[in-house]
Amino acid sequence: MGMHLGFLFPSWGLGTRYRKSVVKEKKMKINFILNENEVSIDVDPMKRLLDILREDFGLTGTKEGCGEGECGACTILLDGKPVTSCILNAIHADGKEIYTVEGIAEKHIGKLLIDCFDETNAVQCGFCFPGFLVSSYYYLKTDGEKNLDKIKKALSGNICRCTGYQKIFESVMMACVRKS
Amino acid sequence: MKFVKPKDVENLLKNLEEDKGKKYFLAGGTDLNVQIKNGIIRDANIIYINHLTELSGISEENNIILIGATTSIMDILDSDLIKRHLPYFQRSLESFASPLLQNTATIGGNIANGSPTADVIPLLLVLNAKVELSSKSQCRLVYIKDFFTGYKQNVMKSNEIITHIIIDKNAEKDFLTFYEKVGSRRTLTISKVTLAGMKKVSGNRISQIRLAVGSLSEFPRRLFKVEDYITDKTLTEIDFSKVENLLGKEITPITDLRSDKEYRYHVCVNLIRTFLNQ
Amino acid sequence: MKQVRKFDARPKLDGSWKFLDDYSYKDMIYGGLFYSTVHHGIIRKITFPVEFNLTEFTIVFAKDIPGKNIVPEPECDQPFMADKEVFHFGQVIMGVAHPSKEILKKFIKQIKVEYEELPAIVDVKECLENEKNAFGKEIIIDHRRNVKPEKGWIRTHSVYYTTHQEQAYLEPQGMIAIYKPEDRIMFVRGTMQCPFFVKDGVEAIMGNTIKEAIIETSEGIGGAFGGKEDFPSLLAGITALLAYKSGKPVKVVLDRADDIQITTKRHPSRVEIETYTNPKTRKIRKLKIDYRLDAGAYQTLSPVVLARGVLHSIGGYAVEDVYIRGRLFRSNTPSNGAFRGFGAPQAFFAIESHIDKIASHMKINPYEFRKANILKFGDEFPTTQKITENHLYDCLERVIVKSDYHKKLKEFSKFNKTLKDKKGIGISIGYHGGGYTGSGEKLLNSEVKITIDKEGFVNIFVANVDMGQGAHTTLAQMVNETLEHPLEKTIVQLPNTKKTPNSGPTVASRTIYIIGNLLRKLSKKIKDELKFENLERFIKENQDKFPKEYRMHFTPDPSAVFDDKTYQGVAYKDYSWAACVTEIYYHADIYQIELKKIWNVLDIGNIVNPKIAEGQVEGANIQAMGYALSEFFYKKGYGRIQGFTDYAIPTTFDIPEIDIEFIHTDSTTAKGLGEIPMDYPAPAIRNAFYNATGIFIDEIPLTPERILKTMNKLPQTNTDDTQT
Repeated sequence: MGMHLGFLFPSWGLGTRYRKSVVKEKKMKINFILNENEVSIDVDPMKRLLDILREDFGLTGTKEGCGEGECGACTILLDGKPVTSCILNAIHADGKEIYTVEGIAEKHIGKLLIDCFDETNAVQCGFCFPGFLVSSYYYLKTDGEKNLDKIKKALSGNICRCTGYQKIFESVMMACVRKS
Repeated sequence: MKFVKPKDVENLLKNLEEDKGKKYFLAGGTDLNVQIKNGIIRDANIIYINHLTELSGISEENNIILIGATTSIMDILDSDLIKRHLPYFQRSLESFASPLLQNTATIGGNIANGSPTADVIPLLLVLNAKVELSSKSQCRLVYIKDFFTGYKQNVMKSNEIITHIIIDKNAEKDFLTFYEKVGSRRTLTISKVTLAGMKKVSGNRISQIRLAVGSLSEFPRRLFKVEDYITDKTLTEIDFSKVENLLGKEITPITDLRSDKEYRYHVCVNLIRTFLNQ
Repeated sequence: MKQVRKFDARPKLDGSWKFLDDYSYKDMIYGGLFYSTVHHGIIRKITFPVEFNLTEFTIVFAKDIPGKNIVPEPECDQPFMADKEVFHFGQVIMGVAHPSKEILKKFIKQIKVEYEELPAIVDVKECLENEKNAFGKEIIIDHRRNVKPEKGWIRTHSVYYTTHQEQAYLEPQGMIAIYKPEDRIMFVRGTMQCPFFVKDGVEAIMGNTIKEAIIETSEGIGGAFGGKEDFPSLLAGITALLAYKSGKPVKVVLDRADDIQITTKRHPSRVEIETYTNPKTRKIRKLKIDYRLDAGAYQTLSPVVLARGVLHSIGGYAVEDVYIRGRLFRSNTPSNGAFRGFGAPQAFFAIESHIDKIASHMKINPYEFRKANILKFGDEFPTTQKITENHLYDCLERVIVKSDYHKKLKEFSKFNKTLKDKKGIGISIGYHGGGYTGSGEKLLNSEVKITIDKEGFVNIFVANVDMGQGAHTTLAQMVNETLEHPLEKTIVQLPNTKKTPNSGPTVASRTIYIIGNLLRKLSKKIKDELKFENLERFIKENQDKFPKEYRMHFTPDPSAVFDDKTYQGVAYKDYSWAACVTEIYYHADIYQIELKKIWNVLDIGNIVNPKIAEGQVEGANIQAMGYALSEFFYKKGYGRIQGFTDYAIPTTFDIPEIDIEFIHTDSTTAKGLGEIPMDYPAPAIRNAFYNATGIFIDEIPLTPERILKTMNKLPQTNTDDTQT
């Protein structure tokens, strides 16, 4: 049963008992390492990890493109592996180590990749690029062979609508060569 | 929404015994969070299980491989044990969603969610895998072929949870294998048709064959009638119109936003033919 | 031509560049849109969920609008919010705001509306086949020259269809509005292409309650492709109203599912073409086109898309006797809007498919047939505009050589005889008129501003945004060709309607072509006036002369006259030209086309930044591939796609090799580039599929399902290889 209102007179508050709207949630203490710093937060364990990073820690480099794990704009490293933070919860971070793009941009290989993406003029709107940087970083760390098929595979969870991917591949290939 | 984080499996099973209401297990969260976002799941009880180390990991015991329910797809792809004994299973899983999702999605979650399009299930079907279901009082094994009872329905009781997936170490031995997942693009795609196949050929004769399909019925299933017909025949003995006929009785493809039933049916026919000709 | 790096690449990579959702203001609350879920109906009752305290929410309806409930557009017919009747799914009924994003989302999800449902047209074909659905002004281009078809001439008649395409910018639509009661200013920050359109929108909805709306873009605009041309005006209007009513800064960022379902798409089209061709001369002698677009529920900017569509519908061919009719059709779907190409991709899909069909009827090679009819020096468009160069022909010749077209034709023909899978190769050609159509640029009267300050900074003020296309890097480069100033001291300012003059919208491949060339002119004026050798030194030595401000208006070429009534004259002063070859592999088991390679040869005049230019072609090619093969939004009987899971944008594994060559780059003019590489690939892919299988499909996307359906309808004949 809802409160029926005639379309023409939405007079808010009249006849409604004052009651604060709340989202029922039980907070939990979540501890994790964020970009090499130990952090702790009291939070609804089901809150999206993406929102925690953006809202509670102000790390807005991690973007929301689709909210269902299909575009990769929200990619972070969770215990060293690239994952989409929009379909993870606070609880998934508990006791784990997280790197966001801000942390990766400070690492040696992160900087190398930024140089390469910059040199090829690969970046267009840039909304998906923090995600691409994280996935590319993981590829360089774990494999790093200059191999187009492998690179395509490593980046296959990240969608870009601007570039047609060509210059992204070129940049990662360039980084593979420079790293070795 | 009630949130529970059991401290160990024993605690979890005790909890399941006491809580008779509707509940959802949160492991990787790749399916669950999308369903929460879309309002399909509302105000349900969530039980977090991803931290329970007893439920995760791949091990061997005598002639079987045990895969913990919360083992991620990526862990299976990276496993040397799987590579050694079940290379076909491992190779085929590469088409699962995307590397980003492979890192979080779990094998148990893919089964429990039980989508008709679930990537793992057709493979488990041809491998004759078993699902280990545990409750406080007992632990039972169910063949994956008997696990589903309808669209997103299964034999699990409210006090049970999937604890392991069990595959025979020799499940792939001496088999010729086939796997094709057809989607609207090459990665990040939901299957329109999936065919998994394993066959043994002696001389010209197909002595044994197992076929399983995804996205062609309310849950992924084996094509037992087609298998029976093909078994012990040579290629020339197989009347393909008969295969098509039997297939029509075993699958119930639908038309939806993603694809058409005619397409699903024809592709399935083509893939079976290609597999048989291989 | 310089290889300059983008000024914003590094901060975009390290995550520090701010997109709309990255901005927060003190006391900011969150807004959302509640929209219709029926296609057509009368609102009978709205019910709010009881478990929320309504006093915490700010809610605005149509009746709360102090100004006009009409979004300013080329055709002003769309309300910001529905009043009593909704005309399409996704029509906004109310704006809602609350301090908690979570509570807001839950609240909006539980609002219930009872409708009295009315008949609706949602299917594309149902809309476009029924002449009764035509609305708005039709466009006729009449170039009939009394050519009478002779005996033996080949008549070719076909109808071609295209469907919706979603822009799928990665950053969803979003706005922040802040009302400052002390000076009655409404400040709006947003992700948008056209700050001055948004200003008009906010001032329209707010009426006299505000003195002025000031619009500034976010630092980053996460892709647009036309999708952020007109919808932002509507969104900004409602956000502003929420800010006004709540007295707090309000941020609205659409969830992807909402964004994809309610915002504008590329217009579905139905293009009917009838031609008469003389087989002896291989010349198309007579051509008739009926060009129809599904505009959605309102016309909004569709008349302008229609204009561009009909003007490009003849393709790059010289035909003596031409009659083109263009019309908009109404349906009960969200208004369709701008998307890279703007009517041209639909036009080229039809004409380029048709050209292959004629070639096949005449049993000649599609290249030879194009060559016989291609626009050359001295020919004219149906608008009577004269062709003054052979650059389109040059593009075609070059791409044939580059792609090894003739050799591949032979090879593939052999391959296809023996194997179930097939290979194919296809051609298309195209062009794109730069800037607004007809007298549009004259009416826009764009103005740009450059200031030079004492500290040695050259500041460029334009209303054109950098939405990823690199415009702000390229425009700075164009200024520096003359000023030769350090790039780090040449800065394009963030567009802000208070600070930047109105240099028009960021659309129509006009930013470099109109604004860039205008900035070049202004830079020359500055140099002529100041007579410096080295600007930096000059500023240091002549501090008394600075700060200094320079402005310039765009002056259209007086000889380029277009009559908007008769559609005669110069529709576009300059055209970019292109030709393309595609190679495909057809997977027979799964009825799926795989694009293997695409060759582009383009004339876009001089190239300011080669890497940025290549990036435009690559990105547009892949969007065109999606358009041709996999992207659709609506399926009859099964509704609409709600997110990226099912809207199949190509991923890294899907993409082909891309080859790009620019020719005639020694020109003094930089012409438009943004759209043309989206215009032509789809028909080349379709033509390659014909080459591979001998099957014509006159509708995109060429999904495997559509291919199977077409094959099932065909009489079982083998591939004929008339093309080889």
